[in-house]
Amino acid sequence: MSASATWLDERRAQARERFAAQGVPHRRIEDWKYSDLRPAVEGANDDAAAAWSIRMRPDGVEVFDLAQVDAPDWVRAHLGTLPQSVMASASLAQARSGFAVRVPRNLAAGTLDFEWKGAGSGRALIVLEEGATLTLCENTRTVGFANLGVEAIVGANAQLTHVRIASRATAAVQVEEYAVQVARDGLYRAHLFNGGAKLSRAEFQIVLAGTNARAALSGVSVLADGAHADVTTHITHAVGHTESTQLFKKVAGGASRAIYQGRITVEQGADKSDSRQTAKALLMGVRAEADLKPELEIFADDVKCAHGAAVGDLDADSLFYLRARGIPEAEARNLLVHAFLDEVVTGIADDEMRKFVRAMVEEALPGAMLP
Amino acid sequence: MLEIKDLHAAVDGKEILKGLTLSIEPGQVHAIMGPNGSGKSTLSYVLAGRAGYEVTSGSILYNGRDLVAMPTEERAAQGVFLAMQYPVEIPGVTTLTFLKTALNAQRRARGEKELDAMSVLKLVRGKAATLKVTEEMLKRALNVGFSGGEKKRLEILQMALFEPKLAILDETDSGLDIDALKLVAEGVNAQRSPERAMLVITHYQRLLDYIVPDRIHVLARGRIVAEGGKELAHELEAKGYEHIVGKAA
Amino acid sequence: MSAAPETKKQVAEIGDKYKYGFVTDIEMERAPKGLNEDTVRYISAKKSEPDWMLEWRLGAFARWKEMREPNWARVHYQKIDYQNAYYYAAPKSTPKKQSLDEVDPKLLETYKKLGIPLHEQMALAGVAVDAVFDSVSVATTFKEKLNEAGVIFCPISEAIRDYPDLVKKYLGTVVPVTDNFFATLNSAVFSDGTFVYVPKGVRCPMELSTYFRINASETGQFERTLIVADEGSYVSYLEGCTAPKRDENQLHAAVVELVALADAEIKYSTVQNWYPGDEEGKGGIYNFVTKRGDCRGHRSKISWTQVETGSAITWKYPSCILRGDDTVGEFYSIAIANNYQQADTGTKMIHLGKNTRSRIISKGISAGKAQNTYRGLVSVHPKAASARNYTQCDSLLIGGKCGAHTVPYIESRNPTARIEHEATTSKIAEDQLFYCLQRGIPQDEAVSLIVNGFCREVLQQLPMEFAVEAQKLVGISLEGSVG
Ligand SMILES: Nc1ncnc2c1ncn2[C@@H]1O[C@H](COP(=O)(O)OP(=O)(O)OP(=O)(O)O)[C@@H](O)[C@H]1O
Ligand SMILES: [Mg+2]
Repeated sequence: MSASATWLDERRAQARERFAAQGVPHRRIEDWKYSDLRPAVEGANDDAAAAWSIRMRPDGVEVFDLAQVDAPDWVRAHLGTLPQSVMASASLAQARSGFAVRVPRNLAAGTLDFEWKGAGSGRALIVLEEGATLTLCENTRTVGFANLGVEAIVGANAQLTHVRIASRATAAVQVEEYAVQVARDGLYRAHLFNGGAKLSRAEFQIVLAGTNARAALSGVSVLADGAHADVTTHITHAVGHTESTQLFKKVAGGASRAIYQGRITVEQGADKSDSRQTAKALLMGVRAEADLKPELEIFADDVKCAHGAAVGDLDADSLFYLRARGIPEAEARNLLVHAFLDEVVTGIADDEMRKFVRAMVEEALPGAMLP
Repeated sequence: MLEIKDLHAAVDGKEILKGLTLSIEPGQVHAIMGPNGSGKSTLSYVLAGRAGYEVTSGSILYNGRDLVAMPTEERAAQGVFLAMQYPVEIPGVTTLTFLKTALNAQRRARGEKELDAMSVLKLVRGKAATLKVTEEMLKRALNVGFSGGEKKRLEILQMALFEPKLAILDETDSGLDIDALKLVAEGVNAQRSPERAMLVITHYQRLLDYIVPDRIHVLARGRIVAEGGKELAHELEAKGYEHIVGKAA
Repeated sequence: MSAAPETKKQVAEIGDKYKYGFVTDIEMERAPKGLNEDTVRYISAKKSEPDWMLEWRLGAFARWKEMREPNWARVHYQKIDYQNAYYYAAPKSTPKKQSLDEVDPKLLETYKKLGIPLHEQMALAGVAVDAVFDSVSVATTFKEKLNEAGVIFCPISEAIRDYPDLVKKYLGTVVPVTDNFFATLNSAVFSDGTFVYVPKGVRCPMELSTYFRINASETGQFERTLIVADEGSYVSYLEGCTAPKRDENQLHAAVVELVALADAEIKYSTVQNWYPGDEEGKGGIYNFVTKRGDCRGHRSKISWTQVETGSAITWKYPSCILRGDDTVGEFYSIAIANNYQQADTGTKMIHLGKNTRSRIISKGISAGKAQNTYRGLVSVHPKAASARNYTQCDSLLIGGKCGAHTVPYIESRNPTARIEHEATTSKIAEDQLFYCLQRGIPQDEAVSLIVNGFCREVLQQLPMEFAVEAQKLVGISLEGSVG
């Protein structure tokens, strides 16, 4: 990132300290119980710079390459300012590549499509000014160990739709942290597709900071053989009249491991907050594992919070019903698994995106349905 | 018995009742009609003392006492009963337990002797039969899973049980089939007495065919805009609110 | 049935909220203050224990010195000075007694105040009681009737002497000596507790019950309970706890082990009403308890029911190891935290065997400035084919200054297993409260009624005599929390 601006050096030094204080997380750290990062990154090169490229950029959207000097004011104002988790601190401290995007006030921008490649650290900053809208399509194609930190500032009345596609990467260790702040009447929407990696961790730290701010997260993980996919979310309702919804579904075949950790915090006084959270996993593989931890942390009383989680196999009654109608077992199973995941996929409003994600699911499912 | 003078009341800082005046004598039945959102339920909550329904000015006298100053449960003990438009479900608390707790709380507040479980059961059974409230309903959690009509019948059962002095019925007729409407109306009529006043909120003249009111008030935009005898209901039914409300405005 | 009128009366009578807060003035015999090997030896000697037991304790103590106090629970407290407490305190007048008549009348008076009828009327209720006063077991009633059935129900200190083989066979097999900091401490210094053995095929003819009471100041209580239900047997066991009001915090670190062999069933119920501290959070019991049941034989069942209203801090996870095939584990819990109380409680259901089933129903209520956490683990191991779990976990908040937290861990490693978990958090509904008030029910009584309704599914699991008591407790614990 921009070589030697004092403001940046300071933020990076602080981040380095935060990271050094905790070190690379491992399974004895509560939040990393199901993703043992320390052994997975043994010997990885800390100094590598992940590569990024923007494949499609809508008109009117400003992009700044973080490797350049003389960052504009909006980058200085926001880069590294949101609360950073341990690995986000690491990427802030270490990243030497990355980019920043600004969608100006009231601009209804289309889709910005970008991808991550290579190994190493990377950083992105997305700023939506008041009333702006953007669809961000992120493709993760890193190899080796990559640690990517993304910050998103969703301004008042702005809408960010974030589609993240991480297709199967057998040997990669992919860690990605998202820090998102949503101002009043703003909306942050995320749709994730996970094919899994040797170790994959997508962590969301979302703060609903203004009245009527909303977050809507959904995702599917379709995992075959030894794939690992950890989706960890922490949504903080910092003020009242905020809303969050989450719907995550997982199909785990072979010896794969599907993880969901979701924490909702409603802070004192954040009355009339509404939060719903659902996580479901279908285990198909005899050595597959699902770990779900939907957590509520409530400090205000006038709230409605609910979560549900379920792990199981296909519903025997439905299976029987289909077979009784003459549908062969394999086909019936296929149908039911599709239906299971489709509840999430149909929630993607954008036609193109929905088709794209559906295609990814199709491609990954056969492997994930193997025992 | 009830004297409401120039009543202004607000919910969440929004003024809903804007200078309402109304009085009812013992033995009388008054009906309140009015378009959706005119403030009928609000009036009933203000009379019952629901938290958040704030009297900003005006007065309500109940048997000469300042009703506004009385805590909610004391109003109940002193005979104010509200049959709610949407009766509330309380999971895990059986209907019978609830009835016993309420009855004895009221008696205690009035310095009367509390009744034991057997006496309460006898009392309830006696009244339940005529209202077709089944034994099974009494054992279930209060209002939980009850149909709309069952809930309304249970409200009237409570009215029969508590023998209030002032009964306010908020759309007790809505959601009832024809037989149930008759049943409820009979239940209400059975309780008309020279000591008891009733305030019946309804949208339909049909109910007033069964429960014939002494007076009808039309409420619109937070005040009474028209008043008359029972024939007013027919006029409203024929011409709609717009006609009268418009005239008054 | 509403508890509130009685509640009111009770509270009025004692003029204070904590009815059990009296101190019994009895001369005490204590171990010297502090904790070292000599303390352990002292306790063992006081109990005239055989050498193997002393060795066991010393082994535990050696391990404990190496261990660190856990800090993962959502509870905060001043560091405990383990050297500044007594580890053994016994009423001087009681050591060897043959019958109730020999028990110090002051003690019997205490139990009367606690509402524990120790005498013949208990026969009618069909409850046998073992009462633990500070560190020693004071009286065990109905030994004979139980003897006839072959049921052993006695202080654990007695069992160590009289049934060493049984104790050796099972003690520490469910909660190993090294399990956790507090369990290890307990293993070193436990002073008394209860032992139950129900022989093959026997349905225990009465409910068994223990009342625990901490009376002496600056004293920790470390009781140890071991219940073994042999093949095809059944036993229902109740436990109640109280303590006097004191400004200091007192430690209670108990260990309970349950073993259910094939086709056996153990039902364990607790009404925990240790002193919770005052409105400012001063004093109260630290309740750090390890409770675990092992469904060791096929088709066995262990069911935990707890009503936790007391203690300044509760740290407790009654768990089931579903080892045998077709075994069943249940956990029904009500946890109420008011004022400055902190509760971190829940369960672990470890599915090891085929076709194992578990059910968790948890109702948490937070009021005042309290923090109440449900923490639960459902773990299905690879061999646990067709395992099933259902969890319902509801929290109720009363007032905007308390916290309610839900931390479930769901871990499944078998594709044929099915786990369902649901949780909700909300406040006491304003419309429910209004409905009650409108029908003439005063605020405190309305809260008690609504909360009792909220907890009904759990209260129903308690034996009758306890259910009534528990309902009242719910009312008392929340008094004045609204408005
Ligand atoms: N908490 C509140 N905040 C703001 N406005 C409210 C609130 N509660 C009620 N109102 C408004 O007050 C008005 C009167 O409502 P009310 O329920 O008294 O009407 P109503 O005459 O009973 O109508 P209906 O015939 O539909 O039952 C409505 O416009 C309603 O939206
Ligand atoms: Mg209404």
